[in-house]
Amino acid sequence: MAIEKWKLEKGAQCYNCGDATIHDIVVDEYSIKIRCRECGFSRFYTFHMVDLPAKSENTKK
Amino acid sequence: MNALVDAGITGFYVLEYKGMSPQDWKGFAIKEDPKSAISLIRDYATDAMLICSVVEEERTDEIVESVMKALEGEKYTILEVPIRRIIVNYKSEVQERAETWLMEKKVPCFYCGENAVQRIRIDMNKAKIWCTNCGAARYYLIKGVEKEEN
Ligand SMILES: [Zn+2]
Ligand SMILES: [Zn+2]
Repeated sequence: MAIEKWKLEKGAQCYNCGDATIHDIVVDEYSIKIRCRECGFSRFYTFHMVDLPAKSENTKK
Repeated sequence: MNALVDAGITGFYVLEYKGMSPQDWKGFAIKEDPKSAISLIRDYATDAMLICSVVEEERTDEIVESVMKALEGEKYTILEVPIRRIIVNYKSEVQERAETWLMEKKVPCFYCGENAVQRIRIDMNKAKIWCTNCGAARYYLIKGVEKEEN
């Protein structure tokens, strides 16, 4: 089953336009995208690693 | 805590400590070496809590009254101290925000599948998401930026 992307919003100062703007954040298992609603400047992150709690070690895929 | 909130106190801080009353102390003469002092504290001191709050002067009486009511039968001491000056220093908020974003979202966890609060921390060049239920943490790294041309 495909996991639904998480959608969040964050009011913060934009790295690009410098204004206090709303940023749309979309998160899924492998990427994060953040986009300033004013200037459209986006930042992308990709999945790097996962740290699983010890007890669920055996369920690691 | 409920008593404090009911009394109208919105901000306070709490310190846990070990304490001894003068009546417990009476009759003790301890050696002045750290070991004796520590063992004395371990054996005889009781758990105590120091709760500090700053309130408006006009409201003091009603707050004290309602705290006393809520703590009836408990052992407590109330000290009322005037405050001459308060200096609060904030880190530059704009700077702070530009550096790290902290967010929460209650969604099914990528791992345990529970509908639990997921904490999200986004820095300039990395991000972390962790589940408050199972503790699984995912790390992300910045890949790039994109400017939309209008
Ligand atoms: Zn912007
Ligand atoms: Zn989880």
